[in-house]
Amino acid sequence: MSSLLPLLVAVPIAGALLTLVVGYAADRLGWPLAFASSLLHVALTGYLVVRAYATPDPLRYTVGGFRPPFGIELVVDGFNAAVVGLVAVVAVGVLVYARRAGPHSVAFYTGYLLLVAGLSGMSITGDMFNLYVFLEITGLAAYALVATGDDGRSAVGALKYLLVGTVGASLFLAGIGYAFVATGTLNMADLATKLGEVGYGSTLVRTSFALVVVGLGVKTALYPLHTWQPDAYASAPDSVSGLISALVSTVSAYALARVIYSVYTVEFLSSVAYAREFVLVLAGVSIVAGSLLAVMQTDIKRMLAYSSVSQFGLVVAAFAIANEAAVTGGVVHLVGHAVMKGGLFLAAGAIAMRTGARTVGEFDGLGSRTPLLGAAFAVLSLSMVGVPPAVGFVGKWYIALGAIQSQLWPIAAVILLSTLLTLAYFLRLVERMYFRSGTGAAAGADSPTGTGTATVADGGDDEDPTLGRDDTPTLGRDDDDAFAADDERFGRPSVGMVAVVVVAALLAVVLGPLVSAFEPLLEPTLETLL
Amino acid sequence: MADIQSLRPLAAVAVPAVAIAFIYASNRRPNVREAATLLAAASTFVLVASMVPRTLAGDAYVTTLGAFVPLGGDVVEFTLRADALGMLFGLLASLLWVVTSFYSIGYMRGLDEHAQTRYFAAFAASVSSAVGVAFASNLLVLFVFYELLTVATYPLVTHDETAEARAAGRKYLAYTFGGGVAVLTGTVLVYVLAGNVSFAAGGIEGLAGADPTLGRAAFALLALGFGVKAALMPVHSWLPDAMVAPTPVSGLLHAVAVVKSGVFGIARVVLDVFGPETVSNLGVGVPLAAVAAFTLLMASVIALRQDNLKRRLAYSTVSQLSYIVLGLGIGASLGGDAARYALVGGLLHIPAHAFMKLTLFFCAGIIHVETHTDDISEMAGIGKRMPLTMVAFGVAAAGMAGIPLVAGFVSKFYLLIGTASGGEVAFTVALLVSGVLNIAYFWPVVYQAFFEDETPDGHDRKPLVEYPLGGRTDVAADGSGGRGAGDDHASGDGVQARGPQRPADPESEYAVDRNPSDHTDQGGELGDGAEEMVENDADHEHDAHHHHEGGAPAGGWERRGWLGQESTWFMLGPILTAAVGSIAIGVVPGRAVFLRIVEEVVRAATAATAVATTGVVF
Amino acid sequence: MILDILLTRYNYVVVALLLPVGAYMMIENRNLVKKVIGMNVFQTGIFLFFITAAYREGASPPLVGDGGAGVTYVSPLPHVLILTAIVVGVSLTAVALALIVRIYAQYGTLDERRLREAYADE
Repeated sequence: MSSLLPLLVAVPIAGALLTLVVGYAADRLGWPLAFASSLLHVALTGYLVVRAYATPDPLRYTVGGFRPPFGIELVVDGFNAAVVGLVAVVAVGVLVYARRAGPHSVAFYTGYLLLVAGLSGMSITGDMFNLYVFLEITGLAAYALVATGDDGRSAVGALKYLLVGTVGASLFLAGIGYAFVATGTLNMADLATKLGEVGYGSTLVRTSFALVVVGLGVKTALYPLHTWQPDAYASAPDSVSGLISALVSTVSAYALARVIYSVYTVEFLSSVAYAREFVLVLAGVSIVAGSLLAVMQTDIKRMLAYSSVSQFGLVVAAFAIANEAAVTGGVVHLVGHAVMKGGLFLAAGAIAMRTGARTVGEFDGLGSRTPLLGAAFAVLSLSMVGVPPAVGFVGKWYIALGAIQSQLWPIAAVILLSTLLTLAYFLRLVERMYFRSGTGAAAGADSPTGTGTATVADGGDDEDPTLGRDDTPTLGRDDDDAFAADDERFGRPSVGMVAVVVVAALLAVVLGPLVSAFEPLLEPTLETLL
Repeated sequence: MADIQSLRPLAAVAVPAVAIAFIYASNRRPNVREAATLLAAASTFVLVASMVPRTLAGDAYVTTLGAFVPLGGDVVEFTLRADALGMLFGLLASLLWVVTSFYSIGYMRGLDEHAQTRYFAAFAASVSSAVGVAFASNLLVLFVFYELLTVATYPLVTHDETAEARAAGRKYLAYTFGGGVAVLTGTVLVYVLAGNVSFAAGGIEGLAGADPTLGRAAFALLALGFGVKAALMPVHSWLPDAMVAPTPVSGLLHAVAVVKSGVFGIARVVLDVFGPETVSNLGVGVPLAAVAAFTLLMASVIALRQDNLKRRLAYSTVSQLSYIVLGLGIGASLGGDAARYALVGGLLHIPAHAFMKLTLFFCAGIIHVETHTDDISEMAGIGKRMPLTMVAFGVAAAGMAGIPLVAGFVSKFYLLIGTASGGEVAFTVALLVSGVLNIAYFWPVVYQAFFEDETPDGHDRKPLVEYPLGGRTDVAADGSGGRGAGDDHASGDGVQARGPQRPADPESEYAVDRNPSDHTDQGGELGDGAEEMVENDADHEHDAHHHHEGGAPAGGWERRGWLGQESTWFMLGPILTAAVGSIAIGVVPGRAVFLRIVEEVVRAATAATAVATTGVVF
Repeated sequence: MILDILLTRYNYVVVALLLPVGAYMMIENRNLVKKVIGMNVFQTGIFLFFITAAYREGASPPLVGDGGAGVTYVSPLPHVLILTAIVVGVSLTAVALALIVRIYAQYGTLDERRLREAYADE
């Protein structure tokens, strides 16, 4: 059974090659091939995830027959099974969305499949250097994907992402080097025991920990290592920002947790002075600073990007607290955030396609112009704020519980107050969408004179005598007029795009109560990790 | 004390929730939509009421929905449990939803409001959450519905879509989510301390022996968090601002469901989380009561200074809610019969205040719909125009002040006995002073309505009394200075958005459609009143800063009959129902089911220390 | 003392020089191509660190046929790893240069400050 593990990486890579070769010959086959590869990947992942949760022991595979301490090992346990499943599912969702939203180039489909391969590899590898290689494959694919946008801005964003990302990966590599010098091994499980033998007080070990945390912190985009992220997310095409925001930082944060638990171990965290504090401060600052920066943004995608900085602070804080409740919360929020943030980016993209609204000011009155997308966006926002029983709340509950159980009062306060910080930047969007008439939005990038009629119709202004005729509800009335006005100037998102966004919104709500079914599955793994 | 497995508690929460879908589906057919609301309201009430008899016998209906946020061996069950305390709140909310639904229809159609579908949907969502709050079986489930209630109410507060309404909405969310954070923190602390958050009569086992400092912190956080919605000072200021909402919202939500969910939360914390004994041991009951006493006095004084009727009612709400909290705080820190009296008084004030305040808000709303008058200083002589309304207002106001034969008397009587017999005379004095202040701020309204003349030269004529008994000079002073520029602008916008009256629609099945608000007809029959209104409306089209939209028309109020000519029965009916309800609780409290529920709650909560429970009953 | 370190640990000294030099170039240089060169310098520092870690005083190349048991070998593993890392580095450089070509085609400049001005004009 575990012999299927390498296929998790091999299938998307093979798909990428096939898409590349066939796609250049017949352009129209690009999407179907990518979709077929993705579906195969989902099926494979689904099977393996079920297997992983059915058996108490992790699934293991030794690559090329080299015995583990020397060769590369692939491992799927309860912790990364969730991440692998997330990668596969989100990837398919984004591909469905990209069918209409684009980019339609073969380069995109190839890069997309390579990204999935890299992310799957990062999730299942049990070897430190192999983790570095997959980290770079993920990075390369992500840089290329960001640059698939039409304008030069996306190329600049991608280059910045590349430079900062490479420094992060290089620091991670240096950290591996220190650990290798100290122990002479690269296998995670082997490192865990050998590092303990060397002694956690050793300067080599401590330096390697610091370098690894900072390196993965760059990839996770923790403040102040986040500088690549807003530009990359904002300049990438909508599908790509959805994909990257949902997966790349997520899997990096998972890698950070994996390294902390499986390589350095919780004992290292608690025995070495300031190790835990170092990570906690990084995370806490990230939560606060990310939110404050998000409040200051006017561009929706940049705002969502800074929101990610803040939310990953929450996840990393959970992993650093490192008790059972907090780690459960970390995993839940990792998965939940991916669904919510990916959904938000995709919703923002679809809304922009429908109405041209890309800034906070242009969200005025959107609730009646795109009722379904607007509602999905609002639900995802509220879930992100942490309104129960959505998944955003459940994650926060576990993390706060963990922080208070460990009596880490300052970080507990930051975690709990993050609700209000998140509210600060999402509330204004919801308020604009539903409780302001759409003057700002209609004025978009087009000529202001052409939008006069649309403005009146959107606002439900009483000067229009037909509107005061009876008590036909505003909602229905505005839709028609706004639709007509928007149809003239903007495209319509496909059913697939809207469906993906709506499914994300529903998942955000439904996953919350479902955590009670997931927690018992995760528990045996946590017992071995902690 | 048996638990009965049943789907009824879940159904009571689910029915209004499902109704939301129907309300949106019948978006374009208002009559069907309103029928859905009424049907949902009626069936929710019947569902809740059907559980009352067994609850009075000490049983509880339970719906178990499985585990929520499990951790290791510990599981927080997502369970709805309709016990006596929950029934008190659930029954109240569902009963008054029925009444308010009728009123809403009259009010929204009378004003030809925009976004009515959103309004009715959000209303159903709010009631669903409120019933969820009532039937939550543990702190976490309570928190879930408490937060949902916040979200569901937000569209109602911001309903007007004016700058003022948006600001009020922001303030509302900031305060209540801030309170939510405090509740969540308190809940987590209780969970960590006791390993359990399920309500248990007399307190959660394991909390009594916990670290007292952390225990006090948890109590303070929970009281603060619920105190936000209960509008305890200094976290009360969202409530007066939220009065920009349509009046039925102010009535049901900001006098009953939302604010009482905060009070209810405090009641759960005092009675079922910590339990009176632990509260007493931790010494947190008296500080809570002191905050409440401060609030009820300060709010009464501030209410004196409000000229806008709804704002005055809002401060009255702030003050009256603190009676309940005071009863709970004192009741938990005293022992014996005094404690029981205080608890009964506090808890009984939940329904008593609900009925009275709902009447008062409904009166304010009907005055607004019929005459566009919001300020007390402009209400001189309005008793001629709206006789039934103002009589109902007078009855409810008398009850607020604690005059016998109305609901407020009974609950305040218990509170006074409780505090006095328990030796907490300071609180008794505070209650009495507040009663006097209540009269001071309600009397001017009644006086204005019936004994004051609205014509400009008529201020010296005293048709019924020769000397003013109070209020008049105060009100005149307030009337000139009380209104800020922001108020003027916003209410100007409000009127402007409403547009002219609808013409009659003979095909409609509702009374408001067949007999549209009288002043449309009256424009032809009687002249000046309606024309003045139309003129006013027309003015606002051109001049948003024109601020005299309310008050008596030029020729004075016309005189309307006592048989409902003043407005539609869609609004008068609910007003009279609520008023009759408050009299019923006042005259025969033993027959009204609420006192019996309250006694059951107190019996269960103090069972551990009880010697004898007789003597409390009327 | 310092001379001693310079003579016996000179490769570590070079690592310690290459890393800050590369980082400085990436941060301070306004030319995008030079930033990429800085990135390469930075990576090279880390490669050198790995290779140095493999070195053993007086050890022979890791070919079993040459010496047999009892002989110390240099560690082969870092060499293999760094070969991989170099390949990764080359790919990164290629992608970076491709992006730079696109940027130049679009804006006609590789100067970071002028690019920002071009942004403002858009």
